[in-house]
Amino acid sequence: MLADRVEGELVQIASSGLTDVGRVRTNNEDSFRVVEPLSLFILSDGMGGEAHGEIASAMAVETIAEYATQPEHDSGATLHGDEPNNNWSPKTKRLKNAIHLANLKIYQSAQKNPEQRGMGATITVVWVDSEKLSIAHVGDSRAYLLRSGTLQQLTNDHSLVAEQVRRGLITPQQAEESEMQSVLLRALGAHPDVEVDVDEIAVLPNDVLLLCSDGLTRMVTEPEIAGSLQAETNPASAAQKLIELANERGGLDNITVIVARFLDESPKGWLSWLRRGPSK
Amino acid sequence: MAKLSLMFEEKLVKEVPVGARPVTIGRSPDNDLPVDNLAISNYHARVYFEAGRLVVEDLESLNGTFVNDLRIERATLHDGDSIWIGKHHIKVDATGDTAIPVNAGRKAAAPKLNETMVLDTKVRRDMLQQAAAMGERSQFSPSRIKMPTLVVLSGKVDQKEYVLINKITVIGKSPMATIRLRGWFKPNMAAQINQRDDGYYLGTGDVQPSINGARISGPVRLNDGDLIEVCGVRMNFIIRD
Repeated sequence: MLADRVEGELVQIASSGLTDVGRVRTNNEDSFRVVEPLSLFILSDGMGGEAHGEIASAMAVETIAEYATQPEHDSGATLHGDEPNNNWSPKTKRLKNAIHLANLKIYQSAQKNPEQRGMGATITVVWVDSEKLSIAHVGDSRAYLLRSGTLQQLTNDHSLVAEQVRRGLITPQQAEESEMQSVLLRALGAHPDVEVDVDEIAVLPNDVLLLCSDGLTRMVTEPEIAGSLQAETNPASAAQKLIELANERGGLDNITVIVARFLDESPKGWLSWLRRGPSK
Repeated sequence: MAKLSLMFEEKLVKEVPVGARPVTIGRSPDNDLPVDNLAISNYHARVYFEAGRLVVEDLESLNGTFVNDLRIERATLHDGDSIWIGKHHIKVDATGDTAIPVNAGRKAAAPKLNETMVLDTKVRRDMLQQAAAMGERSQFSPSRIKMPTLVVLSGKVDQKEYVLINKITVIGKSPMATIRLRGWFKPNMAAQINQRDDGYYLGTGDVQPSINGARISGPVRLNDGDLIEVCGVRMNFIIRD
């Protein structure tokens, strides 16, 4: 897939998303969406009994995809009462607004329908904005970037154990062994307002972006994830491989992954010359 | 309270607690931990608390102070670390102060869960307050604003110092790099510094950087005072309040 750069140059992205119910659960509460023409990647992990987790995660993903594809007339506006940070790009602001909107929809739906009480969802969204990634996030799903063999988590988990590690109270190892891993500090749908994390990161050729639900990261270690992303250069096979690994380890939860690879510069040779004209 | 145990060949020589006053280590008998050995300088090193963290500082000793094999000028100590001076080593026991109940939160959050749940606001506030009361050790400690900074000592780059604010800081010639190397034949993406939950890690790129003179092959956690060298650029990693 090709995404237009603002300057008219081309950044080439190959991407693929895949979800699996896992080995233990009977329903899949994860939702994801890859909007290829926009280079927009959305992933959500739902929670709440019966089928309500699925409703919440689907609502999150659909709301954000729809909001992002609307005409951009109000892209810089701040929908919700956060501090306006004018340094963020219009796409980043737009993602933040979209998440506030999704939160409100899930919350209101749960208020109206008593059987949906307690439903909620995580959300992790990455939008490729010329040479930058716009990242917006709530909960414990994750975005990672593999660069020069190093896998770096781009999002902070909004879980109790991650917060304890950040405060120096427990070690990352203790966090992995904790029984409290499922306790979230933030999620969509729990309150009428939610604090949304946003960030922007410059992309480099050969970077690999991964979005995933905790069904992957609870089962597969980061070095294994890095290894699979390096070994499988085709995003669809990499996604497949990661899901297989999580299932081999027990597949205790639903597993969803989106893999996007930033290809090495624009195509060289006469084809690219035809597209772009002679370089100056 | 933190405790230092001076060891010689696995035999305990002396134990001292670390309190409000620094613990001094050296050959002179008026040190808190006197070490009678010619390889040790008169006033060799000291250990003290700073902003809730236990810190060791080399006092420009002749033969150097090492923490777990790395020569340091100044470093944050963690429970279980060993400080090496000559043939002696000092075991660091910081468990006392960090009396951090790994399980601190468990009672408050009660139920044992497989299902994901969101803490309600009050429980969350209580747990985080409890957590805040305990910890000052983290580089992201909430009660002080810490600025992890790279101070350039030598080499061609575009600034004299860099405050690390991003999840990923790229060191290289690329226009996307935060720390931009200058000069011929410098790689676009020489190395990277990654922010994780428990601190900052230096990782490789097109080259293998070194920390305190030791070349690294994968991500290594940075300690306050570490000396980093990448493509002829020498920088100090410092955590400022």
